[in-house]
Amino acid sequence: MSTMTKFETTDKHRFLLNMGPQHPATHGVLRVILEMDGEYAMGIDPVLGYGHRMQEKMAESRTWPGFYPNTGRMDYVGAMPFNHGYVALIERMAGIEVPERAEYIRVITSEMNRIASHLLGIGAYVLDLGAFTPILYAFDDREDILDALEDITGSRLTYCYYRVGGVLKDIDDTFIKRTRAFIENFRKRIPMYNDLVTGNVIFIKRTEGVGIITADMARRYGATGPTLRGSGIAYDIRKSEPYSVYSHFDFDIPTGKNGDSLDRYYVRICELEQSLRIIEQALDKLPDGPVLAKPKRAKLQEGDCSFSVETARGVLTYYLVGDGSEVPYKLKIRVPSYSNLSLLEEMCTGMLIADLVSAMGSLDLVIPEIDR
Amino acid sequence: MSLMKNTLDILKSGSFDVAESDYKKCGYHLEVKLTESQVRDFAQAMLDCGFYIDFVSAVHVTPCFQVVYQFAHFDEACRINAKAMANAQGEIPTICDIYHGANWHERETHDFYGVVFTGHADLRTLLLSEEDADLKPLLKHADKLVNVETITRKSGGDAEMKPVKKTKEEQTAAE
Repeated sequence: MSTMTKFETTDKHRFLLNMGPQHPATHGVLRVILEMDGEYAMGIDPVLGYGHRMQEKMAESRTWPGFYPNTGRMDYVGAMPFNHGYVALIERMAGIEVPERAEYIRVITSEMNRIASHLLGIGAYVLDLGAFTPILYAFDDREDILDALEDITGSRLTYCYYRVGGVLKDIDDTFIKRTRAFIENFRKRIPMYNDLVTGNVIFIKRTEGVGIITADMARRYGATGPTLRGSGIAYDIRKSEPYSVYSHFDFDIPTGKNGDSLDRYYVRICELEQSLRIIEQALDKLPDGPVLAKPKRAKLQEGDCSFSVETARGVLTYYLVGDGSEVPYKLKIRVPSYSNLSLLEEMCTGMLIADLVSAMGSLDLVIPEIDR
Repeated sequence: MSLMKNTLDILKSGSFDVAESDYKKCGYHLEVKLTESQVRDFAQAMLDCGFYIDFVSAVHVTPCFQVVYQFAHFDEACRINAKAMANAQGEIPTICDIYHGANWHERETHDFYGVVFTGHADLRTLLLSEEDADLKPLLKHADKLVNVETITRKSGGDAEMKPVKKTKEEQTAAE
């Protein structure tokens, strides 16, 4: 967070405008300093750090199991994959085998969490553009997921359900029935979202051709997730570096064509169905057996280890350096929204401020994840 | 596989110290050791091969900072981890004009460690506030600071983690 702006304007027609840190369209405490020429944003300088908690320092000052609950408190909207990445990182480092049933449960819960996160993302985005109703429908469906997950994990948002070597406890028949009922119900609701939002003339006018991200830009900034896939690149860690049991399932990677806000929104809509497909297959194939390998307290080996997972917003990489003790010597947490937001300046310079709100909302930012 | 082999050949012909690594154990396919002067050439080679930037960070060790770069590819599974030692003054050339996404990662690394990325036009604080600019929270205390050898993976060594022996108090508590 720097209070000094980089703009030194002498042009008397230009003025500085503060968007945030408390602004509905920033979805959290993010501040963007805009150098305005009338209604056009000619300079953009995001100011981060209002929610900074120094997670990486916390990781270095406690043992590796002690840091685990923190991982669910960065992206509070889609916390499961953050948990998943951390336990999988330790498992990779220690060479711990995970029972297959536990891996299936991880995939089911992670995908449900992804749907919940996308529903919030879509609902809040449309709300940014002035439509109030869709978020109420989205929250209605999301509530079903949160209730089901609360039943088995004990939490609604900041999960701490996975364990190194498996998951905390097995899922029961109630959860399976509830999930199957949700899938059936939610399949019928997806066309409704399309009728309500996707085909809406005002929505299309606000999003089509706004905030274009090219493949080259994505590469230079490291944009991932739906933000990248909207630009037509089918890149998903679940396919390219398959972790857990994702390689057992048949699913597609939806992509857009133009890389505009509309494509990014529509990729999220399409991913809802793909997540449903994964959950369905996982429930059908769910093997029997234990869900937790014998817990092991161990020192981290000397050397580095990296693990990447696909969160609802893109690639999350944990990079851990061990020095032979129980405490991580270094843990770098590479969060997707951080890289996705960093291209804002290039994407939005010269844009109308109303379009900037549309383009920024389409990145589906979660600020506590960026600030860590 | 072809992309990985191609990249390996390109990097070798560019006289970079590159080696294949065991993905199942360390999570990346290629490991590159860079000198301070190679960093920018390496970044340019990565961009020319179509890699995207995953992150830039640093590790505080003796004799100086180890700066870590990670890249991956949209088309095929090929994750590259590169390490370079900063010079004695804690300086290393910036790559933020080649990979624009490195801008924030380098500012963050400057915030946390004080690594100076020479040529970076805008090293203002990013996540820390201005009054904490000199805090450098991730610098190790002298008693925790280790040599770079200690955190380097031993080739051929046992990859298994060593179990922690329980202390007497914990044993009695368990009983």
